[in-house]
Amino acid sequence: MFKFAIGALGALAMLAGGLATSEVQARSKTLDAVKARGSLLCTGHNGSFLGFAEVDDKGNWKGLDIDFCRALAVAIFGSVDKLKIVPLSWAQRFPSIQSGDVDVIIKATGWTMGRDTELGLQFSRPYLLGATQIMVHKELGLKDARDLEGATVCVAGGTSTERLAANYLASLKVKHEFVTYEKTEELRSAYFSKRCDAFVGWGPNLAVTRSKGSANAADHQILPDVLAMEPESAAMRQGDDGWVDILNWLFSSLMLAELNGITSENVDAMKANPPNSTIGRLLGVTPGIGKRLGLDDSWAYNVIKTMGNYAQIYDRNLGKDSPYKLQRGINALYNKGGVLYPLILD
Amino acid sequence: MTIDGPPAAARTDWLDWLRRRLFAGPIDVIVTLAGLGLVVWWGPALFNWLFVDAIWREAGSEACGTPGAGACWAVIEARGRLILFGLYPFEQHWRSATACAVIIAVAVLSCIPAVWTPFRLSTVWIVGFSTFYILMSGGIFGLASVGTEQWGGLALTLFIFASVSIIGMPLSILLALARRSELPVIRWLAAFSIDLTRSFPLLTILFAAALIVPFVLPQWLQGDKLYRIIGAFAFFFACYQAEIIRGGLQAIPAGQYEAAESLGLGYWRRVWLIMLPQAFRNALPPTINQFVITFKDTSIVIIIGLFEVLASGNAAFGTAKWTHSYVEVYVFIALIYFVFVFSLSRYGAFLERRMRIGHD
Repeated sequence: MFKFAIGALGALAMLAGGLATSEVQARSKTLDAVKARGSLLCTGHNGSFLGFAEVDDKGNWKGLDIDFCRALAVAIFGSVDKLKIVPLSWAQRFPSIQSGDVDVIIKATGWTMGRDTELGLQFSRPYLLGATQIMVHKELGLKDARDLEGATVCVAGGTSTERLAANYLASLKVKHEFVTYEKTEELRSAYFSKRCDAFVGWGPNLAVTRSKGSANAADHQILPDVLAMEPESAAMRQGDDGWVDILNWLFSSLMLAELNGITSENVDAMKANPPNSTIGRLLGVTPGIGKRLGLDDSWAYNVIKTMGNYAQIYDRNLGKDSPYKLQRGINALYNKGGVLYPLILD
Repeated sequence: MTIDGPPAAARTDWLDWLRRRLFAGPIDVIVTLAGLGLVVWWGPALFNWLFVDAIWREAGSEACGTPGAGACWAVIEARGRLILFGLYPFEQHWRSATACAVIIAVAVLSCIPAVWTPFRLSTVWIVGFSTFYILMSGGIFGLASVGTEQWGGLALTLFIFASVSIIGMPLSILLALARRSELPVIRWLAAFSIDLTRSFPLLTILFAAALIVPFVLPQWLQGDKLYRIIGAFAFFFACYQAEIIRGGLQAIPAGQYEAAESLGLGYWRRVWLIMLPQAFRNALPPTINQFVITFKDTSIVIIIGLFEVLASGNAAFGTAKWTHSYVEVYVFIALIYFVFVFSLSRYGAFLERRMRIGHD
């Protein structure tokens, strides 16, 4: 019923949109520059940021953020070959986008008001929520943070994580004792030697600690509680709305593909025989998805075919097919208990 | 101890040596015993960790990072090429490796006194440098083109060091001479730029070259980030080196200069034949020191996102499988630095001996 409504709306919008198609050429300066240059410049890291930007044994980039860069390159050029990853430190991100060293920042970058209003940046919709979470020994049989009554909690001293954990546990009225350390290594060894019952940290880091610190990763679990949450978005130069549109619809289309069960494996079958009009539009069977962004109508098909849908990209880099085994949690789609959702493709 | 003569005498020598060197007085005894204690206390554990319990091959690396396991050298087997060549395309690593060999060969050649004529030196450097550049960036002779954003690892470290030296050295001589010039404007300009540059940290200068220059200069003048960095680094190097050379120049007795003048030598010939050889001889120890510092300072470029050997080391242990092996990676990188810096300082010592023999 809902989908039918979307379809009907879509048909109406298409009629209306037909009038405006002539003026949508060259909506984005950045897109024009990227096409003229023949390559997309996207952010890497000066070293490695686990799960988001790493380097494999052969010197190739991999990770969640890298895959979104690749997806963008595929959307524009139809292939990942045209992507250039520019290694950047954290501090360099914002000057580099302003000076044109990169076309977009996809680098675990939180959307904050200061960055949005004062740094001359513009953000896409969030593609991931970075969570601060708690890991515990499984043998304790805890379900969530409320069960931490009387627990000893290991946390990095003097950090925002410590403050967040204190706030969160205080708001739950859970009595606890903090053990603070300066170094991650000390923290890890304290936790694994059972000096502490729980270990507070940033999601992917916890997952790594779990998978590599002990003989058996299954002996530890990450509680579902989210102590703090940073929305990670792609950041762009202010004043190029067409470019922001492309990023928004890139993320949205990957989520829409997941919602409709379109994967890199079945995308050809779906395209040959679209089960509904939204999917037909997404995969370019019904024209419209490309032209309105200044891209090819098959861009979303190309991205899904090459990179997979959102779930496939996530699972490959952070989730069940990665060494980190990080559950989707809050980053699942809305129909699976998460907060991510596709926008309406009309 | 295989020496000629009666064994008894040998033992006496040996005991004598011990007594004189290690047990000469109460403080010596304490220091020796304390040192010995440390070695006995730490030595076996360190030795076990480094060698006995170490995991050498990637095949058995599952045990890495588990309690009681030794050093995980498997990380070097698995990620060594990443450390050495960074993000350079895997199939093209031979180019990066050859380029490294070329630049090392150039450095070694230019250390040999027989090469020290302007013609030979410049030939070696121009040929060596263009070979390095063509190998690394490709685009001709059927070599695939590789952008500088993919250069990395030891190759990039060596490239930065070599370029900074080759650009910075002549520049430093000019700056030193300019600062001693009799023309006030030139003298003031040189003094001003040297003192200004030296009053900023290297990091600030590199940051400005990488991030601020693009806002100031038009696109066609900016050049690649790597070359802007090298330019700024070279100027920074030149300012310090210029002061070292100036020190060397000032130590030359005024009579030398006056004698050269009275022989009717022109300015450049006086500088080239009389002043500079003596200045370099005077300034040799701090010059070698400056090269050593510069080699180690190349690691700073990690901050502006150049993938030099330390960054590629970070990337090497920055993946789920190897997160526990960061100590091993740092030991390996330290070893690389040691090899280069130690050879540099031994070469400096050789030069000093050679010059003393030649002139005293």
